[in-house]
Amino acid sequence: MPGLRLENLVKQFGRTIAVDGINLDIQDGEILTLLGPSGCGKTTTLRCIAGFIIPNEGEIYLGERRVTNLPPDKRDIGFVFQNYALWPHMTVHDNLAFGLRLRRIPKAEIRGRVDKALDMVRLSGFAGRYPRQLSGGQQQRIALARALVIEPTVLLLDEPLSNLDAQLREEMRFEIRELQKSLGITAVYVTHDQAEALALSDRIAVMNKGIITQMGTPSEIYNQPSNRFVAGFIGLSSFVEGIVTQLNGDAAYAVVTTTDQVKIRVLRRDLVSNQKVTMAIRPEYITVKTEASLPVPENANLLEGEVIRAAYLGDVIDYRIGLGQWILRVNTPAEQILHPGEKVQLIIPPERVTIIPEMEGPG
Amino acid sequence: MTTMTPKRLLLKSLEAVFLVFLFFLIFGPMVGLVLWSVAIRWFWPNALPQEVGLDYWSQALGFQKSLAIGAVSITEAFQTSMIIAVLVVVLTMVIAIPAGYALAKYAVPFRGAILFLFLMPLAFPQQPVFVNLLLTFTRMGLTSTIQGVVLIHLMVSLVFAVWISSAAFKSIPPELEEAARSVGASKMRAFVQITLPLAAPGLLASAVFVFLTSLDEFTGTFFIGLPFISTLPMLLYASSGSNLQFASVIAIVLLIPSILFMVIIERFLRGEHIAGVG
Repeated sequence: MPGLRLENLVKQFGRTIAVDGINLDIQDGEILTLLGPSGCGKTTTLRCIAGFIIPNEGEIYLGERRVTNLPPDKRDIGFVFQNYALWPHMTVHDNLAFGLRLRRIPKAEIRGRVDKALDMVRLSGFAGRYPRQLSGGQQQRIALARALVIEPTVLLLDEPLSNLDAQLREEMRFEIRELQKSLGITAVYVTHDQAEALALSDRIAVMNKGIITQMGTPSEIYNQPSNRFVAGFIGLSSFVEGIVTQLNGDAAYAVVTTTDQVKIRVLRRDLVSNQKVTMAIRPEYITVKTEASLPVPENANLLEGEVIRAAYLGDVIDYRIGLGQWILRVNTPAEQILHPGEKVQLIIPPERVTIIPEMEGPG
Repeated sequence: MTTMTPKRLLLKSLEAVFLVFLFFLIFGPMVGLVLWSVAIRWFWPNALPQEVGLDYWSQALGFQKSLAIGAVSITEAFQTSMIIAVLVVVLTMVIAIPAGYALAKYAVPFRGAILFLFLMPLAFPQQPVFVNLLLTFTRMGLTSTIQGVVLIHLMVSLVFAVWISSAAFKSIPPELEEAARSVGASKMRAFVQITLPLAAPGLLASAVFVFLTSLDEFTGTFFIGLPFISTLPMLLYASSGSNLQFASVIAIVLLIPSILFMVIIERFLRGEHIAGVG
């Protein structure tokens, strides 16, 4: 039984189509992330699921229940807001107890459940405080506890970590996922931070301009982007375009040649001769050959390029290296210092070159 | 500590003189009021009354009943003023709270026009407006009734109450209500338990403002209230030419609610509510 299902969801504001036909099938107990840039429709979709927005078209099912037109208070959801939305005039205890009191749960049980929820987010003993006395991270955890204490059918999170500093964000990613898994609750998570999405999701739906451009596990999204938008949005990539020129010789490989005669060997897969392709290569898969390098693997690409720019990032150095008319992003360990103008040899394994289908997708 | 040059001394002295002047400007009239209220005889050019006593006070408060000094009991006018003020506050808030909420939360069509409409009564000179109202009210049988006066006061206070109420509701982030809805609260419950308490300081301030405005309202009350409705400001007006002592007593009585509310508001708004919202 699916935990949550969206069918052809459409939402229009005036002349803007924010959500343009979303179909989603979320498994019970799964945490699915809607990932995309600002304005892609992810928050609108989430708010439709919550009931804050009524869609123009389409249906929303929570379990077997059709909830499309139900108000938020009838959907049995838990919502975590980006700015926490804790009620400032109530203590932490009352913030958590509010939803429980509405359900006519006896006082003794309320106390127990509130304490348990605070334990879950590691804030026991904070029951008597007011939100203004809490730090950002603590407020966020209380917001999470408030959404979970009522034991909803589905947990909805709207960029809950974006107001926290980087370190806290990283910690909270794991906490949220652990909490979700230990409770087995279906969750929909919205973010524009792809590292966050990759870290805590079971599956990711990458959105752009109101539609889902690719859906898959974090590994699939990262290693097999199905269109240029996803390849560019997830991780870092360099893009090179060319035409498939050589197929006959090698059964496993093909060669793609660019307009300025740069030849790159790639995995053959189901490419056909003269096919136009876009190749994406991630910086971490390109190695700069030095005397001390391991021998170049057979069939790997050995291409000559010129260093254009360098940026010191602490753990690596981020280079822009020119390959003909193309610019590749390459990361090297911080000790390997190259200077602009230097000619280098790049090793690119064919299996690390992603072929992006040359179809008219968004992005 | 910088040395006191002659120039600095001069500036400091001027500053002191200015502050004393300001002090007298603000408190002088009040001191004058208090002096006049206890003056039995006070003729120019004496700086202080020649004879003081509480006669005017006891007449006003109804302890003494003599026509000799021309002061009458103000208790009835006081009651009338209070009843009208309370009615006006209740009716204004009953209208202003939902109206302010709607204007703050929803994209009400012609929002600007509606607010402008509320503003209209105050945009014109008062006397012509009230004279015309007098004619209308006479036709409707509302002159010289409590209802008529309450309506006049409503007209004057509604615009402020609606503006302030709208601002108070606007200052509350919509997510707070949405959070309540998401844990199972109906629209009404979310409003009553979340929105209203948070808007309370602003709403209370506007209620106090409406109360004081109603208490002090004169022109409209004068036109519509006569002859049977008598409020404190009308009594004040009637005696201000001839009986300065009596007028001072009424003026001080009118001041008391203002000062009282100022103290209450300062305590209340400084307390948990404002801090809780912030």
